[in-house]
Amino acid sequence: MTVFVILAAVLPAALVLVLTARRFASSIPAAEPAEERRRPAPGAYLGWLRMRLKALAVPSFFRKTWDLWNGWAEARYRGWTKWIFLAWAAAFLYLAGSGLFFAIFVRRGLYGLPLLGHVMSGGLFAAGLAAVLILRAGAHGFDRREETGPAAFAVPFVGTISRAIVRKTVFWWFAAFGFVQVTTALASMLPMFTFNTQVALLMIHRFSALGLTLAAIVFFDLILPDRAGPRA
Amino acid sequence: MSAVKPSRFSGRARAFAGPVLAAAAAVVFILAPAEAETPPKWAGSRTPAVHRIPLNDEFGQKIIPSEPNPLPFSARTTCAPCHDYETVKTGRHFNAASPDAPAGRPGEPWIWLDERTGTQIPLSERSWKGVFKPADLGLSSWDLTLLFGRHFPGGGPAEPEPEDETPDSRWSVSGKAEINCLGCHSASGIQNHSEWAKQILRENLRWAATAASGLGEVGGIASRLAGTWDIADGPNPDDSEWAVAPFVKYDRALFDSKHQAFLDIAYPPRDSSCLACHSAAPAGSRKFDYEGDVHGQAGLACASCHRNDLSHRMIRGYEGEAEDDPALLSADFTCAACHLGREKDQNDPPLPGRMGAPYPLHKGLPEVHIERLACTVCHSGPLPEKEAVRVRTARANRLGIFGIADWSTDLPAIVEPVYLRDARGKLTPHRMMWPAYWGVKEGGKKTGPVRPLRPAEVEAAAGDILYPDRTAVRILAALQNASGLTGKAVLFAGEKIYEPNLDGGLTAVVPEAGTAVPAGDGFAALENGLLTPFVPDFNPADSETAAEAEGAIQTALEALLLTEAAPGEPALRFKGFLYRLVDGFLDKMENAEAAGTGPEWLWAAGETLRPMLSEADKNAVLTLTGTDRRLTETQVSLVLEALARGGRGNAVYVSGGKLFRLDKKNRLEALDDPAADPVAWPVAHEVRPARQALGWNGCTDCHSLSSKFFFARVDGQGPLRTEKISRRPASSYMGVDNLYHRLFGLSYAGRPYFKILLGAAALVIGAVLLAALVLAAGRLSGLIEKRK
Repeated sequence: MTVFVILAAVLPAALVLVLTARRFASSIPAAEPAEERRRPAPGAYLGWLRMRLKALAVPSFFRKTWDLWNGWAEARYRGWTKWIFLAWAAAFLYLAGSGLFFAIFVRRGLYGLPLLGHVMSGGLFAAGLAAVLILRAGAHGFDRREETGPAAFAVPFVGTISRAIVRKTVFWWFAAFGFVQVTTALASMLPMFTFNTQVALLMIHRFSALGLTLAAIVFFDLILPDRAGPRA
Repeated sequence: MSAVKPSRFSGRARAFAGPVLAAAAAVVFILAPAEAETPPKWAGSRTPAVHRIPLNDEFGQKIIPSEPNPLPFSARTTCAPCHDYETVKTGRHFNAASPDAPAGRPGEPWIWLDERTGTQIPLSERSWKGVFKPADLGLSSWDLTLLFGRHFPGGGPAEPEPEDETPDSRWSVSGKAEINCLGCHSASGIQNHSEWAKQILRENLRWAATAASGLGEVGGIASRLAGTWDIADGPNPDDSEWAVAPFVKYDRALFDSKHQAFLDIAYPPRDSSCLACHSAAPAGSRKFDYEGDVHGQAGLACASCHRNDLSHRMIRGYEGEAEDDPALLSADFTCAACHLGREKDQNDPPLPGRMGAPYPLHKGLPEVHIERLACTVCHSGPLPEKEAVRVRTARANRLGIFGIADWSTDLPAIVEPVYLRDARGKLTPHRMMWPAYWGVKEGGKKTGPVRPLRPAEVEAAAGDILYPDRTAVRILAALQNASGLTGKAVLFAGEKIYEPNLDGGLTAVVPEAGTAVPAGDGFAALENGLLTPFVPDFNPADSETAAEAEGAIQTALEALLLTEAAPGEPALRFKGFLYRLVDGFLDKMENAEAAGTGPEWLWAAGETLRPMLSEADKNAVLTLTGTDRRLTETQVSLVLEALARGGRGNAVYVSGGKLFRLDKKNRLEALDDPAADPVAWPVAHEVRPARQALGWNGCTDCHSLSSKFFFARVDGQGPLRTEKISRRPASSYMGVDNLYHRLFGLSYAGRPYFKILLGAAALVIGAVLLAALVLAAGRLSGLIEKRK
């Protein structure tokens, strides 16, 4: 459990750090070829980060965020189906938020009304994920033409691959972790597994949730617009 | 010729070494006997020693049963040659007052019960929450022995050190009740706990073990002897009827020619010995219906788990005991130790627990239950009901003492299971009782603690207020002597009949079928189920028809003249006439005050008339007799007033989880106060088998909208008959959120559908993933392109 708590605290933070650093790097004006850009100082990164956070702390933040998500959802989910996506995304946000917060900061773990909300949101998440997969799985099929597109994402040991490939991969990872989440939650509710199995199921649920969160962060980064507008 | 090796020490050093060596030798010599007295370690034989041994009296003299006036045997001197008595005294059953004894998890306190004053005070020498230290209430070892010695195993307070003896005690007459080894370790069927209790009551303390063991017959009653009597005085030559000095007649058939007695010893003790003091059963349950503990049914004995060595520091077996008392091997005797095995060393495969106890699978049980609940929550005690179940315990309710008299008491009211958090924060089933006592609120009316008053102090201040039935009993005793009366004088009121009992109180009698109980109240003769009022219905104005009835009135009034502590002369008011005895003759005069009413029995003091039974007394008799309540609110108000008059301005009464006091207008008010908080102690028995455990039928055994586990009512119990009691749901004692568990329980109504939803979602997600995997595999292998 201690290992999980440490990983749950460190990995998302580390991933966010890496992704924001990438954004910072890409925000430097490209006066010369990218490979010749000078390495920015950490202080400059922190200043950039502070500036970005300050930019978020404006009254219009929530409206802009909503516009972004709503626009993004409308572009991909037709008609009322966008509400499926939005409800599912909200359920996921609550699940990830409550799960990680209690895992990291509350020794007892998730309990009480937040747990009740977690369970209810879990149902919504499971149904939403199934619907999203039905609606959007086709759009996340791998295509060789895309694979030969412009290289924009550097993956260690793999090399530079296209942003679309990364997004699709993350999508399916997300789906796989979601499947583990739903099955472990269901299995722990069934009077079929021994106590020791229950403990193992819960641990799998926790680690899978962490993987799910990391996948979601990467996916979010991919769809978040940069200066050039919406990206993925 | 061998050369003498020169000493390395100088002459001065040698001179110094001599005395040092002598001193060391002396120390060794002094210590040597102590070491020799240490009992030998167990050599390995499991055959118990046959105890055919000489019995010694308390002076260490061998008992010869054929001698005149032999003394009772003493366990201290009889058992000591082999079993060190001082070591045994450190045992849990005897060491409560020892400052070195760990308090451990709270256990059942002794409850000082005085029914008449409605007092039930939990006591213990151990530092447990909510209990009073005996010394704080002025209770000496002598008091404790007389109050609770019936269920003492001897030793402890019953065998005080000389410095602990108080002037009011009679130890020199009674002797001390040494540790009663045979009380636990006798396997003889003649071992008799009831006899022990009887001898303690008679203050025959040093004789109690002998009488209980059946080795001899004990006569005489030490409590009747003068305080100057000493055992060396022998029989009382002046009295062979009343103040007979205790004596023993040994059963000579139990002794051989060498005056050695055979003691049938049980090692470890038999369950029946333990249960003499540790029985508990739901009130009103039937003996033949009682299941007992699953471990007992499976063949385990109490001592299989609750073990001890010669020190008698007994393993209680609760989780965390090893931390409370590291000297014990108690970690090996918890539920987990036996049922989960020894998972201490992760490098070794876990071994099954003791005796290969069944390993619990706990299918479908979320981990949080093991983290937050003790095993006993689901597996021990009665299943939760809508209200906490009333239970009677041996020590609190005086069970297991058999004889003509009924020793058992309804009070104190103890309920179970109430789930509270233990020292480790785990929920554990508890027994619970609410203290009840009169006291004085100290240090301010609102915040100060309550100092309990001893029942004798309250009784002295309250007088007859606490005896509402005593007046009626005195009247009935007088009427019983009415000439010509062949039945039993009884009181009838509220369609019930009340007759005097042997304890000086009243017993409510259920009228036999066909017995007509007149309306109103009065006195009557009960014979063969026929109730005949002392005053028949007649017309006093008609002198011709009234003669016979007036004769009956005269007979009754004459009998009532002899009423004990009568506050006046008896009189009767009936249909506008007042009857009194004047110079032995019945005087009849008109009295318009009560024209048209039924007979009114009165005390006449001069011109003042007052009812023989006051309304308060009558109400108390009607509402309390035949119940386990002892006081009415009116009585409490009257006693508080009486205590205030006696200089105790802040007098209060505590009962049922509330503190009662008189407000500024002298009205009784009930308040919440820490002094009224209940006292609770965990229970571990009776253990139910897995199939009867809470949760066997699924989560809804506990998690439902109307869960008995979370929402059972736990009402304060006490001697006061009142509606003003503490009423709390079980969840409030657990420290959990009531609303949350209502909602959580409600969620279980939709839980099956939720599972279907999750299952369906898992199927869809799995199918899509599988399809994606197959497609990806086809693309990667080029099979799909090839097909195109």
